Amino acid sequence: MSDAIAELKGEAGVLELHRKFLETGAVPAFRSINEKAIARFEELGFPHPKHEMFSYVNTHEITSTPFQLGTGTVEPAFVDANTYASCEKSRIVFVDGAYEAGLSNTTGLPQGVKLVPLEEALTQADIKTHLEKTIEEENDFFACLNAAFLKGGLLIDVSAGTIMESPLQVLVTGTASKTPTAHHPRLFVRAGRTAEVKLITKYVGTGGGYLVNSMQDFLLDDGASVVLARVQADHAQSWHAEKSRVYQGRDSRFTALCGSGGNKLARVHNEIRLQGEGAEASLSNASVLIDDDQSHHFIRIHHEAAHTISHQLFKNVINDKGRSSVDGTVIVNEGAQLTASHQLINNLMLSDTAHADTKPNLMIFADDVKCTHGATVGQIDQDQLFYLKTRGLSEELATELLTTSFVESLISQIQFPEVVVDLKNLLLKKLEVKSD
Amino acid sequence: MSLLEIKDLHAGFEGTEIVKGVSLTINAGEVHAVMGPNGSGKSTLSKVLAGHPSYEVTQGSIIYKGKDLLELDPEQRALAGIFMGFQYPVEIPGVNNAEFLRLAYNAQLVSKGEEELDPLDFDELLDEKMKLVGMDPKYKDRFLNDGFSGGEKKKNEILQMAVLNPSLAVLDETDSGLDIDALKVVSEGVNKWINKDNALILITHYQRLLNYIQPDFVHVFGQGKILKSGDKNLALELEKQGYDWVVTETAN
Repeated sequence: MSDAIAELKGEAGVLELHRKFLETGAVPAFRSINEKAIARFEELGFPHPKHEMFSYVNTHEITSTPFQLGTGTVEPAFVDANTYASCEKSRIVFVDGAYEAGLSNTTGLPQGVKLVPLEEALTQADIKTHLEKTIEEENDFFACLNAAFLKGGLLIDVSAGTIMESPLQVLVTGTASKTPTAHHPRLFVRAGRTAEVKLITKYVGTGGGYLVNSMQDFLLDDGASVVLARVQADHAQSWHAEKSRVYQGRDSRFTALCGSGGNKLARVHNEIRLQGEGAEASLSNASVLIDDDQSHHFIRIHHEAAHTISHQLFKNVINDKGRSSVDGTVIVNEGAQLTASHQLINNLMLSDTAHADTKPNLMIFADDVKCTHGATVGQIDQDQLFYLKTRGLSEELATELLTTSFVESLISQIQFPEVVVDLKNLLLKKLEVKSD
Repeated sequence: MSLLEIKDLHAGFEGTEIVKGVSLTINAGEVHAVMGPNGSGKSTLSKVLAGHPSYEVTQGSIIYKGKDLLELDPEQRALAGIFMGFQYPVEIPGVNNAEFLRLAYNAQLVSKGEEELDPLDFDELLDEKMKLVGMDPKYKDRFLNDGFSGGEKKKNEILQMAVLNPSLAVLDETDSGLDIDALKVVSEGVNKWINKDNALILITHYQRLLNYIQPDFVHVFGQGKILKSGDKNLALELEKQGYDWVVTETAN
């Protein structure tokens, strides 16, 4: 009962904040999107605890916290410290949801990569239509709120045939705040025919107290490729919501390898639509959660055409009172014959109070497909531990080696060496501290 | 003093006694082959020697270098110079093969109160040992046994043995699943390691291996006991006549 009242209060709070936003902070170009999105949010409301999309994610703290819109600043030194060396001339920076051209440096990008402020990009009919249409179909209240408070953002427009040799880094920064603030960064990535796009998104904070509610659209034309590495390194005392929508044309490839450090509540929603024949998507994530860290993944992959392929691999190491969930459904549409789909979720539990929910799920409406899925929840493998001990390694060292190796095998597949090193520092260090 | 002295060993798994009274003495410089049908207790003996936590010793003693071996944890046994070559080496994705070998090698040095070897010096040592066992250097950068073929896994066991240079090695069916070329290479690696100060227990199902590694003693296991011991000619006889005649002979 008390929950219902709190949620009502929370929704009313959001609507009030939105009214103020439209009066003072909104950008006219986004007005119709803002209004459509808040209307959709009003229809959806905050999720009931048994809502399918949030069955493993307790949003109570977020929905009952009165957030203001964040408008902080960061020092250039902070941005530099979080920039990968190979991205010094190809980085774009968001601070509290707003694109900061002054902190960004895009002089190293190839000619075929155009960065267009989203309000300008809205003059292109297909972009505008896409944004409006996705709001009507949106069932995730986080994504609705991103659109409701949308006032900027960036289109990364990669022309046909353009090949990015080195990655573009997107640094999303939240600023420390004593009273809770929310911000809503937005990216739109359009990869032209046979373009090859390399992206690194990194999420950081100058301190706690912020909610980053990020939204990305990826449109891949025929034969295009997007390689994404994602580093979720938010402050432990923050909240992280994120949604990626991926639309894939014929023979396109989308590869995302991600690492999550978790925070008070990190929740990532991936919606991937394999629309053209031969399209392939690969989604992997490694999380290391300690203390009260949480990291949740909600995945829907739609095989809408024949000969499409999807891979998913999730690895979570959970200690203390950490919580993780992976809720992934692969939907193979009628007619999407000869598709292949693999999904594997592995959890390594290091304490009695660690918690993992896994829901690998298949919905198949075609009859000639190859789909596998599985999940494991376990402790350290005793055969592996014994093997290492017979080589003279102590129990402690062998355990540490097995714990780190559990995520390292995934992280090491990332093709950007600096990100591999960064994720090792971020994730594996969390495990070292605990074994001391 | 013998290197290893097993007296009236009874041991088993989950309450089932599998080894039922085995006595065996092994001296430095000796190669012992342990043969016998499946379920005769060969592998249980190797697991007990390595200290596998699932295997329980219910009776008897094992003295290694004058010490009660059963009092030692698996890692202490390893540091004391016992090496176990696994029948089915486990795959450990994420653990770099060379890095793992360096950790194991340095754990030994540290336990002897010596300085650790730095990565560059160890790399040299590793190159030399890999040559010895005929292993492609690319396996240094692979994850431990991850995706290795059966033959490469066994070679990797012998590589570990060559690097760690134990006093007593127990090779549990190292020859199983190897084709003849791989068997020759692996045997050559083992032969180069054997000297007067160390000893080897070869557990095998097939006489074939003993064409390449010459045993000083052959023991035939059956029903958890040593049914018969002899020299390498016993192995030849077994190959010709099978195990049944030993069982029949000892029953009479």
